[in-house]
Amino acid sequence: MAIGVKVLKRPERQVSYVRATLKGMALTFKHMFEPKVTLQYPEQKSSADWSISQRWRGTHRMLTDEQGRSKCVACGLCPQICPSNCIKLVPGEDEEGNRYPLIYEIDEFRCIFCGYCQEVCPEEAIHMGVHFENSEYTRGRFVYDLERLHAQTHPVSTLWDPSDPRGQ
Amino acid sequence: MADDLVNVTIDGMTLAVPKGTTIIEAAKQAGVLVPHYCYHPSLPSPAVCRMCLVEVEKAPKLMPACATAVAEGQVVHVSSEIAKKAREGVLEFLLINHPLDCPICDQSGECELQDYVFQEGRAGTRYKEYAKRYNPVEDFGQDILYVPNRCILCTRCVRFMDDVAHTPILNVSERGDRAYIGISEEQRLDHPWAGNVVDLCPVGSLLSKDFLHKARAWDLDKTPSVCPGCTQGCNISIDTRDDVVVRIRPRPNLEVNRHFICDYGRLNYRWMNRGDRIEAPLIRENGRHVATDWDTALARLEQVLRGASGSAVILASGRASVESLGLVRRLVDGFTVTAAVQVPLGEEAPLAGIPNLALRRERAPNLAGAELLGYTRHWEAATREAMAAAVVMVLDADLAPADAAALAAAPGLVVVLGSVVPESLENAALVLPVTTMAEENGTYVNRDRRLQRYQQAKSQPGMARPAWWIAGEVLAGPGPSADAPSTAAEAFELLGERWPVFAGLTYADLGFTGRALVAGPAGVAAGEGAAR
Repeated sequence: MAIGVKVLKRPERQVSYVRATLKGMALTFKHMFEPKVTLQYPEQKSSADWSISQRWRGTHRMLTDEQGRSKCVACGLCPQICPSNCIKLVPGEDEEGNRYPLIYEIDEFRCIFCGYCQEVCPEEAIHMGVHFENSEYTRGRFVYDLERLHAQTHPVSTLWDPSDPRGQ
Repeated sequence: MADDLVNVTIDGMTLAVPKGTTIIEAAKQAGVLVPHYCYHPSLPSPAVCRMCLVEVEKAPKLMPACATAVAEGQVVHVSSEIAKKAREGVLEFLLINHPLDCPICDQSGECELQDYVFQEGRAGTRYKEYAKRYNPVEDFGQDILYVPNRCILCTRCVRFMDDVAHTPILNVSERGDRAYIGISEEQRLDHPWAGNVVDLCPVGSLLSKDFLHKARAWDLDKTPSVCPGCTQGCNISIDTRDDVVVRIRPRPNLEVNRHFICDYGRLNYRWMNRGDRIEAPLIRENGRHVATDWDTALARLEQVLRGASGSAVILASGRASVESLGLVRRLVDGFTVTAAVQVPLGEEAPLAGIPNLALRRERAPNLAGAELLGYTRHWEAATREAMAAAVVMVLDADLAPADAAALAAAPGLVVVLGSVVPESLENAALVLPVTTMAEENGTYVNRDRRLQRYQQAKSQPGMARPAWWIAGEVLAGPGPSADAPSTAAEAFELLGERWPVFAGLTYADLGFTGRALVAGPAGVAAGEGAAR
């Protein structure tokens, strides 16, 4: 024997796993009688004591006026403020001489969901959405054009209000 | 000399200025901007806007800085409590009727009302219960819209038309809060220099239809340049957005154009955005043009020039720079050369109130420069000459169909240095893509022999290079060479050897307002760009 190994003799009680296993099982069984926190997504999307925050910043939505036209006046502030440069805007003029966006596209892949576009918008046109289910079959579908932004129906974000920091 | 100077103290800085200077100009020299609307250095001061009121010690009340001359020992406070309060009051009055439509206003971002309200205006209004005045938008003329709601009645446009254009068709109609800028009955704002009222307007009341909704002021990249419209050589700023020229505005140069440019020059930018550009050098092989790289094309050009002898003709565009004209001319030094520059003619349109300022008949910005470099304006003679020449160099000239057809039958070698694809020059041995003046650095000499620089405003398409680069590479011989100029400044310095009028001058001497050339060995005028 090259190395001397010291073998300790321990009492059976200390080395048995039976006790530890029973302890763990007890904890597991205890949870069966506690209130359940699991949400059965996707069948169930919110519950009485949990829902997505009103301040959630998800994929965008463009609001429209009574005639169904975009509220956007193509002022150019959102592409300017956008830190990830994901908004493409080309302004134009409609038949009544009003300024409106000819092209308005948001690349949701590039977007970092900071919410600056909603915050800067003087017309309250572009909004972050309270929405998180964004899967698509093609990558191209993630560039939301004006039509797509109009068609979104999910609620819009309230963002963070400095005068009401806790949202009460 | 000392008698003509007076000492004034402006916001704690004492400086000596010539007698008769207004406080606003003296403050500018002291580095203090006095907020103002009606004042403009190229227009008379009526002191109507009351924005530039400043506190002058020992004066009984606030004085308008634009109409008060400085006096010995005067102490002026621009940002004292009382002056600020006065300006806040003026701004509050202006905003009673000014709509808050900055998001859709073209002036937003370069609006003086916006700037000053942000700087020192009130945060809110005290006139909530009154509706703002409303008048519909009026169409004033060819390129000008008038939005009366936004007007702050500074009357700069009225004074421009009265005192500078000498065409008094604008006026202030009505009185009090109903006042607006009126246009004489049956009249249109179609004066060839009328576009300047758009630049003069401190707010978005007078708008250019051409620029309407095209871009926001903060999206624009502004490049100092020289107008390629005529021999006057007005200083301009080329405003681009995403590499597309969207407008041209005047750039102040008191020696040439003061603060103005004509509408012809203002709208003469569409050709800069042309899409049908040559993007690669083309050489003629087996009867058709084939795209190639620069090494091959330059070697071919050298071979062509070495192989020919006799006479050469250069047909150059009037928009070619001094550098390009000079080096292309040197390229054919071994030949008997006839060089002509194309001078399109138009109608002369003077701006009556400014001496020596007009849209000139000769619509070639570098005509004087070309003549200094040995080019003539005898285009017809040169095109006739080309029919017998051994080498014909076409430098971005806009050939008339007849000329092009004639050249296509020319027996000599035709080399085209062009920006757009030539229609009928199938027999050209070489077609080399060159940049336009918007895509390169260079200089022009205006009709008063003032040498002025322009800068690159947008990127060059494909492999296009300035013509001076092509000529410089060939002159320096085959292969990479340190002698070939790599910047326009170096190309310019090469000209001095051959044309003494440019000797000893560098780009650094020119600054951004240029300097007058004088004939003779000295080559340099003594006084440079000093304000009148």
